[in-house]
Amino acid sequence: MGDETNPKKRNDQQDQRRKPNKNYAVKKRLPLRPREGDNVIFVTKKTNFKAQLDKCCDLLTKGEKDIILHGLGAAIQRCCNLALQIEAAFCGTCQIEVNTGTVDLVDDLEPLTDDLDYGAQVRHSSSIHIRIFRTAMLGANQ
Amino acid sequence: MEATEFDASLGGGEHLPNTVNSFKFVSSRSIEIAAMTESILKPNKTKLIFQYLPVHMRRRVMSHNCKRLPKKLREGHMEQLKKSGLPPKQKRPSRKFRRRPTNLLEEYTKRQRRIAWLETHIWHAKRFHMIERWGYRLAYRPCDKAFRACYRASSAHCLLQDISYCLPIRITGPLESIEKMFSYMTNRLCGLSITAKAYLSGNRAGFIHMFKPGSYPFGYVGKVEFLWVHVNLTPELILFVHPSQVKEMESIMVGIISESDPHKCDNKQMKLISNLAGVKIQVLYESFNRFRLTGPKSHPILTHCLKPVNEISTVASNKWVCESNKFNIDLLLKEKYDYWSNICNLTSPSQLPARMVIGLTVRDPRWSRPKKRTKAESLDCNISSEHLIKIPDFASSSPLWYTVINNTVKKNAITNAKFIEHITKTNLVPGEINEDDPKIQSIPIVLIQLPGSQNSEYKKIGYGSGWDIIVPSGYGLAFWLTFVMFGARSGGLRETEHLALEMGECYFPPDSESGKLEEKRMELHLRDIYFKRPPSKRVNFIKLGISNPFNYPWTILLKDWSEQSPNDFFVLRDRKVISELQNALRKKGTISDISNGDFCLVPIYLHVNGTGTVKEHALICVPEFGDLISTRTICEAQHEDPNAKIRKERRKDHLNLLKKLRRKRLKLKKKATTKSTKQVKRKPHELSEYVKNMRELWVPSNINSVRHNCLREVMGYVSKGAFSFTESKCCAIGYVTFNALKHLVDSKLNKVLVRNINSTKYRIANIQIINSL
Repeated sequence: MGDETNPKKRNDQQDQRRKPNKNYAVKKRLPLRPREGDNVIFVTKKTNFKAQLDKCCDLLTKGEKDIILHGLGAAIQRCCNLALQIEAAFCGTCQIEVNTGTVDLVDDLEPLTDDLDYGAQVRHSSSIHIRIFRTAMLGANQ
Repeated sequence: MEATEFDASLGGGEHLPNTVNSFKFVSSRSIEIAAMTESILKPNKTKLIFQYLPVHMRRRVMSHNCKRLPKKLREGHMEQLKKSGLPPKQKRPSRKFRRRPTNLLEEYTKRQRRIAWLETHIWHAKRFHMIERWGYRLAYRPCDKAFRACYRASSAHCLLQDISYCLPIRITGPLESIEKMFSYMTNRLCGLSITAKAYLSGNRAGFIHMFKPGSYPFGYVGKVEFLWVHVNLTPELILFVHPSQVKEMESIMVGIISESDPHKCDNKQMKLISNLAGVKIQVLYESFNRFRLTGPKSHPILTHCLKPVNEISTVASNKWVCESNKFNIDLLLKEKYDYWSNICNLTSPSQLPARMVIGLTVRDPRWSRPKKRTKAESLDCNISSEHLIKIPDFASSSPLWYTVINNTVKKNAITNAKFIEHITKTNLVPGEINEDDPKIQSIPIVLIQLPGSQNSEYKKIGYGSGWDIIVPSGYGLAFWLTFVMFGARSGGLRETEHLALEMGECYFPPDSESGKLEEKRMELHLRDIYFKRPPSKRVNFIKLGISNPFNYPWTILLKDWSEQSPNDFFVLRDRKVISELQNALRKKGTISDISNGDFCLVPIYLHVNGTGTVKEHALICVPEFGDLISTRTICEAQHEDPNAKIRKERRKDHLNLLKKLRRKRLKLKKKATTKSTKQVKRKPHELSEYVKNMRELWVPSNINSVRHNCLREVMGYVSKGAFSFTESKCCAIGYVTFNALKHLVDSKLNKVLVRNINSTKYRIANIQIINSL
């Protein structure tokens, strides 16, 4: 969905960015998660877009009052896309509330030489949290 | 038209009445009706009662066991039985009698004489298929259909495995000696050395590749997890070794030590404890249990199960705590309690520092066990990243590593029965829990974090993360059941194998002794299955051009790809070279030569395009230029089978021979009726010469070359392949020769062709070099 950057170029950039020091290898950890629940959906770059769209639509039609989408970093665009498509699919019966934020990510620095200890670094990544809520209930679904 | 049944319509004199008098009608048939009702009420029965039941209600041994019948039929059934005079059936001794503790224990120890059992064996034996491996009886797979469920547990919930079979080896001695000893067996190119600063503090566990002394890169032994622990302020090394490698590892280390000390060179008796050159090696049999929890929910499960002790006063009366006071060990209960409560609200263990070690003193896990099986959920709460970045210095210390304390804990372990007895005796208010009961000791444990995938290009981040928990022996089942009650799903060896595939790790590398044994075992197993089939149902591998359907001809393959003829080979583990290879593959660059390249296999991870799975022993081939572009699938043409004719003739001859022999036997019998001729019986498992020959004709074993046997050049073989749930397509782990990979990269290709052994189709697959250590 729009992330059609040249993979080769992207890899080269990443290589440079991820090696702050020759003595360390950067290993990523899982970011801290906001509250989980049935109506909370985390959008990633790998999940199938159509599947998530269907899931969201299902949740809303089954009577969920609001759903929350979380997107992090490169997945922000997909997250926005998803929210807008849901809004379009429900033709004005639901509204969107958008919050943006920053998430602290912790990376492990694995030493490549014997005389160094493990390290850690904090990166910041932008995040988006979209709440989609029903404004008018359809008669059939109440 | 009118109906023409009655007389009148045909011109006869009989007329149908216009009305029917029902009373008259019935009375004239009263005799018939009476006969019918009587026959319904008193049927002339020839069947037994249970034979009247409809098929779906019938049960086996219904006639013997009246409880299988519906209740209302039982009485009549019993009457019938009495009439027929069946003898009262013999009673089997009651289960209670059969399972008296003494008899049962005797039986169990008898069974354990040949192979060892884990502490959770009986729990597993009731729910798992058990197999014999490496001198243990281990759980292979759960009896219920749980393959996908176990994957789901490992990716979204918690998969629980008993890996107590991994044996700890304790190595004590001066640090320099240990370092020197390991410098013979390991190599810096494969990763950090054992005495790296990162590990020496004991805060983190590490992995190291072990080789036979001085033979790097050949003579691989295995990957070993190690941990530095501080006992009496001196560092000790603990290796966790896979049971298939323990014997080898031990003999190598003992060999090194005795070589370095010329006085005690021929001391072969000291196998377990060799007290040489200041370094002591000791295999700790049956002193710890080790459970592996994989999946994000393993953290909530641990936080629900493990309740750390807060104050020393509550556990002061425990025997092992008194013992620890003699050693002047500071248990640091308060600090550890605070730290654990700080990190206990995480959603996944992969948010913590990789391979961190935490030593805790916890209350008996039976206290925190829920009444019903409930799923442990993480509580949401904000955690400052401070706790995630730093591992406090006190975290890893644990009294568990002191042998004396461990033995005391083991000795004073409370069995389930005693525990329940104690509770029922002391518990005045039902449901009330007195966690600080001095009678029930607290337990020192050690947790080791598993980081899982940390490279998002290879696997999704955090897949395979979890915790390893080490508990003193005697407490295995207590912890195990608590984990299960908090929603962990238990898995067996099959799950270990599949997890290795999902993670893209080599399970048993082919250049190690254990890998060779595993290959041999698989070969025998597959061969057995193949030759059990009738000839018409066997896949003809000769026609498919598969020369080695059951084993891997690594040396022949390496010989084909180089001018030399290697006796030995190795799998590439040099980190630098691996990353160079990966880069070259991605950017379509060039690969520079490495030393011993002719003997080198490169582990690769394959993503197969399209549907269908790739299985073990599949061929990995070099594609030609048009192959990757064209939409037409490449198919292997049928090979000629020169052996088919020979097999047919042999079979005919053999049948004739059998006939002849039979005739001879009959003649002999007639001649000497009185003489009892002794027949020479062949052992049943020994194959006759004829069968051996025929098998050789089906799958020839004298193969000289494998590279050019097929349409495309063979560069390697798949060692494990299946559908991968993380990638949602078929993935496989295979090994290709270094020269072949070089050839591939030089021709600017980064894809390969894969062909299953039972198919003619070549499929395209993407490759990645496996670099996970």
